[in-house]
Amino acid sequence: MAAFEELVRRHQQGLFSYLYRMCRNSSDAEETAQAAMVRAWEKLATFRGASSFKTWLYRIGTNLCLNLRMRRKPTEELCETMAAPDVERPDAEYRQKVREETVRRALECLPDDQRAALVLLVYEDMSYKEIAETLGKTVRAVDSLLFRAKANVRKALAEDRAKGVI
Amino acid sequence: MSNSTMNCGQAKRLLPPFLDEELSGRVREIVSTHLASCPACRAELEALRTDVGLLEQVRTPEVSPFLVTRVMAEIRERRRTAPQGFARLLRSLAAALMVAVSIGIGVWFGSGLAQTFTPVAENSTEAAVGYVESSTIGVYSLMLGGD
Repeated sequence: MAAFEELVRRHQQGLFSYLYRMCRNSSDAEETAQAAMVRAWEKLATFRGASSFKTWLYRIGTNLCLNLRMRRKPTEELCETMAAPDVERPDAEYRQKVREETVRRALECLPDDQRAALVLLVYEDMSYKEIAETLGKTVRAVDSLLFRAKANVRKALAEDRAKGVI
Repeated sequence: MSNSTMNCGQAKRLLPPFLDEELSGRVREIVSTHLASCPACRAELEALRTDVGLLEQVRTPEVSPFLVTRVMAEIRERRRTAPQGFARLLRSLAAALMVAVSIGIGVWFGSGLAQTFTPVAENSTEAAVGYVESSTIGVYSLMLGGD
């Protein structure tokens, strides 16, 4: 139990951050992170070490998150156009916040599988092979997902770039 | 793509894995060679790098400091309430026994019902034999081939 608790401590922030970007809110991310860790404990006997514990844990989390999203109707359509930010405000903090929100929205508008692949690459520093293990796909499929994900992010940011938001 | 050169379309498709350092040595060399002589593809690579840089700036909240506590508490609770070892075996055996008894009861009831609906002919034959044995007239009838 003590060893598992140590594993939980090591992976909690990374798993929560990943699930936050997938679930789009803190409470779902925490609920899913907790469920994933408990499920990992219950299934520990089935972990054969073919992948790392991290990719195995994140895979459990991914499946739980996607199931949750399928069961729930989104309460907010995050991909609608946000109110135009005031790009004339000089303060750097505001501009940084706007930039961050703009990029976050571009990420959240991606289909689930593209977003998962891109989040695992950019924020979890996973290799294509590790991403493939986490998502249950081939490396080739991951390469394709990432190509489309980056193209879609570029497209989503193009208008904001033109307005000088980012 | 030839063995040592590629066009811009091919190069652009390979720029994301090139940036992610996922290309094999030989292919990576070919892409690098193309980039060295193609300003447009170099600009595309820089644009990709900029996008990734923007993504990296998107922060997430800190995880709750109580998450570990909640996880371990839930695990301990599940261990406490789940049937363990011999108790689990007893539960399985009890369930199997209940199924067997249910099937047995069904078979028993089925046999009882079969007896209720005994074919009429058998009873009629026995009744007729009993009548003949006990009836003098019946014996004479049989000898004469009567009904």
